[in-house]
Amino acid sequence: MDGRETASNKRGVMGWLNPRHYNLERWAYVFQRVTGVGILMYVLGHIGDTSFFVGGPFGSGPDPGTWALDLSFTENLVGHLILATTVVIVVFHGLNGLRLIMAEYGIIFQKPSKIEYPYQAKGLRGLQKHMIWAAIVLAIVAGLWAGGILFG
Amino acid sequence: MDTLLRVQRFEPTVDRAPKTQEYSVPFRDGMTVLDAILYVKDYVDHSLAVRFSCRQASCGSCGMKINGVPRLACYTQVADVGGREVTVSPMDNFPIVRDLVTDLTGFFEKHKEVIPHVVRRDSAEMESPTSDYLMKPEDLERILQFTYCIKCGLCTSSCPTVATDSLYPGPQALAQAYRYTMDVRDEGGAERFKVLDSAHGVFRCHYAGSCSAVCPKGVDPALGIQLLKRHVMSAKPPRGPGEGARTSKP
Ligand code: SF4
Ligand code: FES
Repeated sequence: MDGRETASNKRGVMGWLNPRHYNLERWAYVFQRVTGVGILMYVLGHIGDTSFFVGGPFGSGPDPGTWALDLSFTENLVGHLILATTVVIVVFHGLNGLRLIMAEYGIIFQKPSKIEYPYQAKGLRGLQKHMIWAAIVLAIVAGLWAGGILFG
Repeated sequence: MDTLLRVQRFEPTVDRAPKTQEYSVPFRDGMTVLDAILYVKDYVDHSLAVRFSCRQASCGSCGMKINGVPRLACYTQVADVGGREVTVSPMDNFPIVRDLVTDLTGFFEKHKEVIPHVVRRDSAEMESPTSDYLMKPEDLERILQFTYCIKCGLCTSSCPTVATDSLYPGPQALAQAYRYTMDVRDEGGAERFKVLDSAHGVFRCHYAGSCSAVCPKGVDPALGIQLLKRHVMSAKPPRGPGEGARTSKP
């Protein structure tokens, strides 16, 4: 071959994206990243969308007709599903983000202490774990609520 | 009953890509994955490369992925991972030397980067102490679990940040940075923070927690790293030069 004595075995981006076999916090990590990208895409789309209305289709200024045309793109099954999903990911991302901030300040952990066998990592227990489940449940509830309004 | 052992084989200087080889190993109660691999090496295929030493989860040599999860082969019983079929491959994120053997050189360098020892202002005293440096039991308890690290590399292998950032110290080194920074005898926090408070430092950890999930010694790097962040954020190490504990007189 090319004279290499070792071969790289770095996981690369797949290391971020594949939480299989791992803990709940690792899944939350992946969802936090994916929802972050989703929210960014939504915000960019929203800015484009709004500027389309404010500037008019061809720079002719605000026009209620343009706004109605613009809204009509979301007034269908796919549009509603995208909006309801956006609510889910925003709520999850926000609440899980709060958990991560609290973790960075070290305020949701028990103090390190003597460990007993079988080892149970304190960093993966307690309040922070409840906060992940709370973020999941509240995101689903918010999504259902938004779906109720959109489809109702 | 036989166990089907699937082993990832790869000789980087010869092979283009890794391949999987299957072996049948007679199962016995209490057999560890390392026992199964050594059975193959002794009786079936001597060319299989594996690293081990203590066979009792003390030396940290036998880290590998077992059914997709980083584990110590000597500390994992075949029966506990299914019994009938076991797949072993080298740890992720470490260069492969051959088959199941990975190169830990860079990993040890990262460990050294965080100054993994007690630092005192008086370097002559540090090299040749004139008395004991005692700790209260409660001070020891605060860092004890982090001292159990055997440098097996399983945590680093599981870390998603290490997967893309070669300059990141990794969970093992960061847990040790916490262990020494919180040691009441240490005065080296400020020096250590130069490494930790950088673009590739402690804040690259996004708390995926897999390091703590796979650590076989209860070190809990994720906990240490999160607790360390607070100190680095405040830019104020727990103790400055001359403030380290010294409880027995020369
Ligand atoms: S922290 Fe745990 S998993 Fe990481 S190197 Fe030390 S003993 Fe191994
Ligand atoms: S052989 Fe020493 S830890 Fe497994």
